[in-house]
Amino acid sequence: MDLARFARDGDESAFEEIMRRYSPRVFRFASRFFRQRSLVEDAAQEVFLKAFTELESFEGRGSMEGWLTRITTNTCLNMLRSSNRRPELTVSGLTEDESAWLENQMADAASERHRSSERSLVAADLAGRVLETLSPNDQLVLTLIDGEDASVKDVVEITGWSESKVKVQAFRARRRMREAVQKLLAHGAKTVAKGVT
Amino acid sequence: MSDKHIISLIESNGLSALSESELSAIRAHNGDCSDCRRAFEVAQISVLLLKERLAEPFEPSPFFQTRVMAHLRERQIANESWAWGRMWRAAGALASSMVATVAALAILPFVVPGTQSNSGTSEMTALNTYSAEEVLLDQSGTTDDQVSDGQVLTTLYASADEDNVR
Repeated sequence: MDLARFARDGDESAFEEIMRRYSPRVFRFASRFFRQRSLVEDAAQEVFLKAFTELESFEGRGSMEGWLTRITTNTCLNMLRSSNRRPELTVSGLTEDESAWLENQMADAASERHRSSERSLVAADLAGRVLETLSPNDQLVLTLIDGEDASVKDVVEITGWSESKVKVQAFRARRRMREAVQKLLAHGAKTVAKGVT
Repeated sequence: MSDKHIISLIESNGLSALSESELSAIRAHNGDCSDCRRAFEVAQISVLLLKERLAEPFEPSPFFQTRVMAHLRERQIANESWAWGRMWRAAGALASSMVATVAALAILPFVVPGTQSNSGTSEMTALNTYSAEEVLLDQSGTTDDQVSDGQVLTTLYASADEDNVR
């Protein structure tokens, strides 16, 4: 709160300290929404510029981290909405590694097999591509609830949505994500079958 | 549970929120229902994809803070210059309206020649009328008083003289 007050009074070093403390969290959160490094940095920059101009509205009732998380969420959602780009994810767009990853996962979906870092990278990239095909709201709830194990209440606090809206959004987002992955798997299986014959 | 499809259960709660009893019921159902087994496996893959995505580390550029501070200063300068510009524009508008008013007042007697004299005369008349009335009233009041006193005195002295003569 003191830092916020000093920054509000025009103390630049106080604001720099706020950035130093909270930028890892802001970056971590923004990187959930964007795969491109430049976009993550643009979002984080916008978050801190907004935070500086809206310091007056921070009354210290909640935590600075929570306040910045809300700003980050809104900024990322707005950026996603304004980009209005929802590419169609097709099997032909998948790399060989991605197809192989999906096939392997399907083969041992329930097993806790050790995953190499290389495979993790492939999975992260594929996840990003699948998420890009969903709406910004779907991406948000899936990332928070299924990815970060946030509760519905947490999402309500971050987004300002009603509890029922969060639940409905999560339900629909899960279905759409599952359908997208299922579609990829089905096409992948066909491709593999064609390759074998 | 084994008769009921579990897809909606997965979709409404998410895998991480499922209890052990729910998971064992799902597994039991999956043994008989291939559709649900498939849906459950896909749901597991979806969650795994999300987790892998979130596990990706992100290292911000070392110049990030400097960049933000530079943008902040640019914005502040832009805001200040905007405020100055706004103030100067307001001052300019005020000054030009004052000049226009003075010019209009200066031009008015030439454009409407009778305006100044007429208005001056009427003002003077109003003042004079008031003054004249005041003076007349005062004078009449005084005169009336003086006359009446004089008349009284004259009457008194005249009657006294008449008495003396008698």
